[in-house]
Amino acid sequence: MSELMKGNFEVKRKLDVPDVSDDSADFKNEFKKKALESIGGSMVFVEREMLFWESTESADGE
Amino acid sequence: MMSHHGVSPEFQGIMDEITSIGLDWHSETLVENSKRNKPFIAKSIKDIASPQQKKAESAIIISAGPSLYKNNILARIKDSGYEGSIVAIDGSYVRCLKAGLIPDYVLTLDPHPTRIVRWFGDPDFESNLEGDDYFSRQDLDIAFRNNSNEENRRNIELVNRHGKDQKLVICSSAPMNVVERTEAVGFDAYWWAPLVDNPGSPGSLTRAMVNETKLPAMNTGGTVGTAAWVFALTALKIPRIAVVGMDLGYYKADTGYQLTQTYGPLKDKVGEDNLKDVFPEFTYPDTDEVFYTDPTYYWYRCNILDLLAASKSTLYNCTGGGTLFGDGVVCVGIDEFCAGF
Repeated sequence: MSELMKGNFEVKRKLDVPDVSDDSADFKNEFKKKALESIGGSMVFVEREMLFWESTESADGE
Repeated sequence: MMSHHGVSPEFQGIMDEITSIGLDWHSETLVENSKRNKPFIAKSIKDIASPQQKKAESAIIISAGPSLYKNNILARIKDSGYEGSIVAIDGSYVRCLKAGLIPDYVLTLDPHPTRIVRWFGDPDFESNLEGDDYFSRQDLDIAFRNNSNEENRRNIELVNRHGKDQKLVICSSAPMNVVERTEAVGFDAYWWAPLVDNPGSPGSLTRAMVNETKLPAMNTGGTVGTAAWVFALTALKIPRIAVVGMDLGYYKADTGYQLTQTYGPLKDKVGEDNLKDVFPEFTYPDTDEVFYTDPTYYWYRCNILDLLAASKSTLYNCTGGGTLFGDGVVCVGIDEFCAGF
């Protein structure tokens, strides 16, 4: 929106625009970086009940 | 359902981030590595001969937490003359060899392209070390902290000497340098795919990897130690399984919060005065020693407790400390377990 409304001229006085970056996103990024550094990369897990699975297709050699 | 009790909503929110962090980071690597490793896959974990006699009765999973050396666990296992199966993870393998304890199986999981090969002695030590202080910070074998070329050379020789025909339980997503290094040594490799999501779900990564490799899939619980337990339970079908070195936390007495990796962002998030909310404490039942955990370790802890509940089995925790206790976990001394209490 700001791009559409800015007009086609340069203002003489520059405005100080406050930083509106998302603190939560900053935290997530920093936490992610540190977490990945610490665990060496073994964390992938979303299945909480199944311990072992074998495809019937692979068992048949297909 | 995660087994998490008594943590703050803030902590819970942070922990919930971890699954997506791992998936975002790994989703492509897992499948790509599995495809690329296909030419190396000759045998799967289903081809492993069933353990016999005492090896079939019980197993010890050797994880890589600091309790392993603090509690002198490896020497105690060796001195006991334990005759059950021993499953080492990649990070404890060299330490086992140094202690004169030859594992029956070594399990490796992590797809990291430069770090994991170090556990087997890294032929490209210097280039893989560049810009990475992971080993300077790890707390298993302090010899690794020095990042010493000489130490790496000794490990190469040690693994070259013992690795030939050693059963290696290797994940299809293993990085190429681990595959090449272990093949060059002559490990006897048995492959598996990581069960990272429900294979019945649309777009399942697990199904994609299994379709590519035709391998059976095992749950990892997010960490190699848990994967080793799942292997002993489901592939070897061993009924009595103990874990050692599975701390899933830090010794409060000698590890300040600032020494943990996520201290900085967590402090910024909750403030210095509220740090206890994101580093929950646990008192180990057998020793009354206090440990604390962080979101990553706590997430691992929830995962293994959930898988344990799903398996309806009992896990004997012989770590002698840490945060792993709860339903399905029996804490017992390693000497007692080895004596077949």
